[in-house]
Amino acid sequence: MFHSRAEALALALPAAVFAAVIFLAPVVILLSEGLRNADSWTISAYTGFLSDPLNRTVFLRTLKLGAMVTALAAVIGYAAAFAIVNLPAKGKGRMIGLVVLPLMISPVARTYAWIVILGRTGIVNQALTSIGLTDEPVRFLFTETAVFVGLLQLFLPLMILALISALENMPKDAIPAARVLGANWFQVFSRVILPLTREGLVIGGTLVFTGSLTAYITPAILGGSKILMLETLLYQRVTVANDFVSASVIAFILIVMSFAANLLLKRLATARSKR
Amino acid sequence: MNPRLFSATVLFLVAAFLIGPFIIIVAASLSAGETLAFPPQGFSLKWVAKVFEVESFRESFAMSMLLAVGGTAAALTLGIPASYALSRYHLPFGEAVRTVVALPIIVPGIIVGLALLRYLVVPFNFNITLALFLAHTALVLPYSVRVVSASLNNLRSDIEEAAVLLGSSRAGAFFRVVMPNIRSGILAAFILGFVTSFNQVPVSLFLSGPGVRTLPIDMLSYMEITYDPSVAALSALLAFMSIGIVFLAERFLGFSRYV
Repeated sequence: MFHSRAEALALALPAAVFAAVIFLAPVVILLSEGLRNADSWTISAYTGFLSDPLNRTVFLRTLKLGAMVTALAAVIGYAAAFAIVNLPAKGKGRMIGLVVLPLMISPVARTYAWIVILGRTGIVNQALTSIGLTDEPVRFLFTETAVFVGLLQLFLPLMILALISALENMPKDAIPAARVLGANWFQVFSRVILPLTREGLVIGGTLVFTGSLTAYITPAILGGSKILMLETLLYQRVTVANDFVSASVIAFILIVMSFAANLLLKRLATARSKR
Repeated sequence: MNPRLFSATVLFLVAAFLIGPFIIIVAASLSAGETLAFPPQGFSLKWVAKVFEVESFRESFAMSMLLAVGGTAAALTLGIPASYALSRYHLPFGEAVRTVVALPIIVPGIIVGLALLRYLVVPFNFNITLALFLAHTALVLPYSVRVVSASLNNLRSDIEEAAVLLGSSRAGAFFRVVMPNIRSGILAAFILGFVTSFNQVPVSLFLSGPGVRTLPIDMLSYMEITYDPSVAALSALLAFMSIGIVFLAERFLGFSRYV
């Protein structure tokens, strides 16, 4: 190659400096704020944050919803991806398009739909009252269930897409071979499909899990101030109480979890390219 | 159960779950009633018309458009040279540059917005619109570097070397040989960046002030006060806009290769 080093650096530097100044520096200062008390370094903000029962509830709820959404997305994702992979080419393309499409639509719009469905005068309540199951509308909005359903709808496509590519990379005759050798469908799944698509599952799972942990729109619209998650708690601490120390602690927790997930993804990617 | 029937059922349910809410929103926005309901009460376009009458929607739409177009253009201006340097040269700090540029995708947007508010806007009395613009640029930067790098890696580097050997300047080789070859990658990066920026909420949450608000944030605050179908109508319109963009991009670029 005949570019000079200086030239190459001059091309790459503006982007790097921009990201470092506009993005990295403010975030690092914000994180350090949670570790300072007057002039010394301390972790008291962290112990203080976690000793508050409300904060603990929100933290555990965020983890729990993330885990539950990921688990159900994996179950539905396998069934859907398996069905899609086995479609004829044309139908497959259409189904993949249908899975990708929601990803391009504003999450506010997608989440708003659940108000129409789950609200007091929503479809579910109308159906329940008309068949006489309830007289009063059931409260679905501002419950964990509503947030759960909203998150699942938002992130399911990521899991399906990851599993489709994993299933397509699987040797075509692995399943028929296992069937011929007498495996039932449960054994085929647990002994053949699962081990061969584990990477896809981890990739999809990481995307869904971090997406759910760092979701703001869904808990804001469907959970309100009753069902807080970490990001809505952060927003509330800042806007209601001007509490930047808690905000810094929450920011740190969110960043650590996102980074851990990304590291895992990166490791998988390199492990795959080595093979 | 018969496996074919099982597959068909699964596909139907998943499609209904993913697309159903969107159909319901479209139907609810065509209602003639005063409150949000499904099935809609009667048919009218009054809520769709109302979307265009709400002053704040018009302003925030313009703001979101400006951020999405301008921020993505700025991100590409920074990102294309960086991708070129990263893919064609072994930089001494290549890995570090790559990581720093990719960071905005990993760090949750709400934190970036808060950090910019607290350490840029408040202490230096920095213009909020400009801060919002910088935040959106940073947010889109990782996508533009990733997509442009992918198309640069698919392009053999000997054709630009040939151009230089034949007497072209290096800049000339870049603009006349490399750029035309990665044009569709750049366009794909632009579309991906536009959609990401336009739909983005967390980054913009803290960066709003008098007269400065992005459309999704405006929708969030509007739905806290009113329960009429106009937000449904706006959601439906935005969804149609996204579908249109993606459809055209897929048609002309094979967009899904890049995502």
